[in-house]
Amino acid sequence: MSVVQRTGESRNWYLPGIAGGLVITMKHLLKNLLSRKQMITLNYPEEKFEYSPRFKGNHVLTVKRDGSLRCTACMLCATNCPAECITIVASEHEDPSVEKYPIKYEIDILRCVFCGFCEEACPVDAVRMGPEWQTPGLPGADFHYGIDKLAYRPQLKGGIATFVDDEERHKAGI
Amino acid sequence: MPKCTINGQEIEVPAGSTIIEAMHGSGQHIAHYCWHPGLSVAGVCRLCMVEIEGNPRVQIACNTAVTEGMKINNTSAKVKEAAKWGLDFHLINHPLDCPICDQAGECGLQDQYMEFGKYDPEMAERKVKKHKVVDLGPTVVLDSERCILCSRCVRFTTEVSKTNELGIFNRGDRSEIGVVEGKPLDNKYSVNTVDICPVGALTSKDFRFRQRVWYLKDADTVCNGCSTGCNVKTYFNREGLFRVKPVHNKDVNGYWMCDEGRNLYQYANREHRYVKAMHRENGAWTEMTPGAAAKEIAKFVKGAGDKAALVLTGQYTNEEYARVLQLWSTEVKSKKVYHWNSHEKTAADFDGLLIRGDKNPNTKGLQAALQQHQLSGTWAELEAGLQSGQIHTVVVAGPENLQFAADFEAKVALINKAKKVVWMQTAKHAALEKMSTDVWIMPMKSYLEKDGTFVNYSGRAQNFKRVTTIVSEALNLTEAMELFAGNQLTIRPQSDVLVESDRPADRVRLEHRKKNEFVFRRGPL
Amino acid sequence: METKLLTEHYHVENFHTLTGYQAKGGYEVLKKALKLQPQQIIDEVKASGLRGRGGAGFPTGTKWGFLPKNNEPRYLLCNADEGEPGTCKDRVMMERAPHQLIEGMVISGHAVGSKKGYIYVRGEYVHVIRILETAVKEAYAAGFLGKNILGSGLDFDLDVYGGAGAYIVGEETGLISSLEGDKGQPKLKPPFPAVQGYLRKPTIVNNVETLAAVVPILKDGAAAYRKYGTEKSPGTKLFSLSGNIVRPGNYEVPLGYSLSDFIQKEGGGMRPGRKLKAVIPGGSSAPVLTADEVAKANLDYESLAGLGSMLGSGAVIVIDDSQCMVDLLGVLMHFYHHESCGQCTPCREGTGWLDKILHSILEGKGRLQDIDLLLKVADNMKGRTICALSDAAALPVLSFVTKFRDEFEYFVREGRSKVKGKAHAQMHH
Repeated sequence: MSVVQRTGESRNWYLPGIAGGLVITMKHLLKNLLSRKQMITLNYPEEKFEYSPRFKGNHVLTVKRDGSLRCTACMLCATNCPAECITIVASEHEDPSVEKYPIKYEIDILRCVFCGFCEEACPVDAVRMGPEWQTPGLPGADFHYGIDKLAYRPQLKGGIATFVDDEERHKAGI
Repeated sequence: MPKCTINGQEIEVPAGSTIIEAMHGSGQHIAHYCWHPGLSVAGVCRLCMVEIEGNPRVQIACNTAVTEGMKINNTSAKVKEAAKWGLDFHLINHPLDCPICDQAGECGLQDQYMEFGKYDPEMAERKVKKHKVVDLGPTVVLDSERCILCSRCVRFTTEVSKTNELGIFNRGDRSEIGVVEGKPLDNKYSVNTVDICPVGALTSKDFRFRQRVWYLKDADTVCNGCSTGCNVKTYFNREGLFRVKPVHNKDVNGYWMCDEGRNLYQYANREHRYVKAMHRENGAWTEMTPGAAAKEIAKFVKGAGDKAALVLTGQYTNEEYARVLQLWSTEVKSKKVYHWNSHEKTAADFDGLLIRGDKNPNTKGLQAALQQHQLSGTWAELEAGLQSGQIHTVVVAGPENLQFAADFEAKVALINKAKKVVWMQTAKHAALEKMSTDVWIMPMKSYLEKDGTFVNYSGRAQNFKRVTTIVSEALNLTEAMELFAGNQLTIRPQSDVLVESDRPADRVRLEHRKKNEFVFRRGPL
Repeated sequence: METKLLTEHYHVENFHTLTGYQAKGGYEVLKKALKLQPQQIIDEVKASGLRGRGGAGFPTGTKWGFLPKNNEPRYLLCNADEGEPGTCKDRVMMERAPHQLIEGMVISGHAVGSKKGYIYVRGEYVHVIRILETAVKEAYAAGFLGKNILGSGLDFDLDVYGGAGAYIVGEETGLISSLEGDKGQPKLKPPFPAVQGYLRKPTIVNNVETLAAVVPILKDGAAAYRKYGTEKSPGTKLFSLSGNIVRPGNYEVPLGYSLSDFIQKEGGGMRPGRKLKAVIPGGSSAPVLTADEVAKANLDYESLAGLGSMLGSGAVIVIDDSQCMVDLLGVLMHFYHHESCGQCTPCREGTGWLDKILHSILEGKGRLQDIDLLLKVADNMKGRTICALSDAAALPVLSFVTKFRDEFEYFVREGRSKVKGKAHAQMHH
């Protein structure tokens, strides 16, 4: 659609300008009155917008096949985060094939700008940006999301499985 | 003194030195893993290749002596190819452990890969699997898969600590570092092996997984564990101190430091410190800010005369002693100053490498300051004074490194006999809180938060600068004494706040950082 | 034409005993040599052009001349490790004529000014160690070893030392490390053993055959020795002939003898219905020769070096057209992977990598780029390590893959051997 600018003195006159704008408004009004289906307004919350699969919503910490957290506390997400909202405390795991895991993984969701850099930085597909985004809280609610909220909240139904499984990697001999 | 030309730069080197020593001495960069200036030459990593004019093959720099007129370069394509393949051979069996490995950010393999690697790996076979998380001793954990078998740790236990605990077992690519059954790696210098390990094979149990190294800043200072005064580098961030590593000083500690010195930073972190001043009166403790407490103390200390005694430990800086002794004689008008020397009998002990029996870093400085002010009170006089009641008030500048203060509780019990006690202490100790007399506990700044000078056992004065401020409310000894003397504190602006360090900034050199900044190639949008 | 210079009396039943050896004129050369000055012996050996018979072919007289003056004590080590696959000549010499070696060692000890010698025998040769120990005892009893040998005022002590099963201790500094009681890992050179060797003292390490050859050289003189062999490779050598041949065995022939003649006449030629495909002329570390190259080859250092191979230890392995070259290379790589000492990275990792690539190919899972990868890896292992095991592993790979590339490509494409028709043909573990 190209924008054509009309030049000339007549553009500065008041009434033609107003009339032209009102014409556009009336056109839309009549169109919407006559065919409801073509109206682009969504009747939220009954109708919701369908976001793409790449939508960057609330974070999801993926889990391995046995339900334990995939994250290895490498802290690349915390390093890459431009808002510095991720806090991780690592700890030693008893299983030497796992070795390192986070005992605290906190995202300050109010500081987060939902840029997705953490998802890009993660080398083991541990953190993803999920599709949910409507998580209000009353004043006093805790907006520091910990592991239980990020990995095991009810909507995730026990945990989202990761694509990068260490077992397959070890079997392949890498 | 033969002259040689390295990468176009003409250098004069001491006779008999090798090419790598010449390059190290003149600040030129060469990739290496197994060579260490403090250990013998092994020549096993084959990464320090150089091209010597007149020689068709690339040679290793660590075992080739410099001859007169040698022309050496390590920037030609042949050398880069040789180094790239040397690195490739190291990496083909190396595990994908970067996320869980502590060495990330200061790893030799990562650094060299960013410098002349960045190739597509061609190894499509299964990697060799070895033992992981092997407990070598009370301080060190081994991961055999990450080990590149440079043998630095083995050479260290053979040549430096002379305890021979580590060895390489098995042959070929099944080789692993290990200890013999029943003889773990428990000598007093074991964590040095973690420092010299170029990869994350040896990790320190103390530092394991606590922090990523790029979140840490480093600053040089001097260790206050004993009178050797090893030069150290402390790593810290807003949360506190995380670890301590040695800095090379050929006259004091060479390349090493002992394990006891590495634990000293722990008392300096905020959770172990006195943050508020405490006053015990009639069995109850009240807390207040140090400034307010000092003002109260000044009421009974200033001008107290010979009823007040000062007990000093050899753990404070020369500058503090100078000012404190001056104030004590002019403002408090007392001549009673006593040196609490916790390690007088063992002062001459030396284990042959670095650890000395006198666990105070600045005994000599204190003794010199006392001599200068002609104060020669003995401990017996203090005891007699306390017994007789002649000494009413005791002001104590307590020891910082409590792990060696074996006589701490005994001294606390002794000083408890005084009517009023002012105890200036950095780290918390339960014995102080059990004192029954009228005691004021003042929080002190640790030596890491001060500029100053320590004098070591041989009379060498070592200057150090403030590393960071952990407890900003605390006072240092000079400030405390100024307040006791009734003076106001003046804040002197630091004139050298923005001083350029002459040490190289990064381990990965700046040009490589710039080259690698946008490694993620985004396509056109 | 089999020559009987060293092996003249090997067929005699009791030649390994002192009486049998002396009955055939043994220890007479020793009596003659004890009257000579050390420098005279060195000059004689230099004049004879004797080259090291263990594999490197370094002129022995020159090696002896590297010893610094006035540095006592000096050691003479006999390298009887014989680890090179295909070689079994030293074993025969030590079984049949241990006194020849002892006499050679005493003479050499006198020449280099050494009072202490060791014979380092590989641990697998248990019976050889016993024979040598008996021979040494006999020599001591007769006064040919020990203090004041035959009244000449010279001392020479000899000890037999057994190894423990490693190929790498065949390398001279590896041998010295093992003898010192450390892990048998080669040391960095420089310093060379002649300057700083066993216990940091000047040391000469020579092969069994080299030291035994000193006896005939001094017996008949350097000129007589030079009558055999060629200008640059004088003398005779024992060759261990093995592989797909009618009469395998150890043969002593003069250097410069044609390789095809050796295979046809001494070896008896190919087995019925078989054609010659390849020959490895000097132990598994030598690059392989195709049948055309074999026709042009003579058994001396120059000819084989000119064809891109080497004389090495003299183990001639004959390969006929019933063998799959990929499988043979797999066997060799398994050997080198097992025997790498693990000190320096290119060899330690490279031998393992080559072994694994060949395993993949042999199992039928090879990729086409694996063949070029073998060449790249081998090329970058050469010349970059402390000792020559890395070269020894890389040279066979380079020669096999370059000269018999069609077999490798067939195996990768079809997943089975061109010759044998199946994968996993003869996998040995």
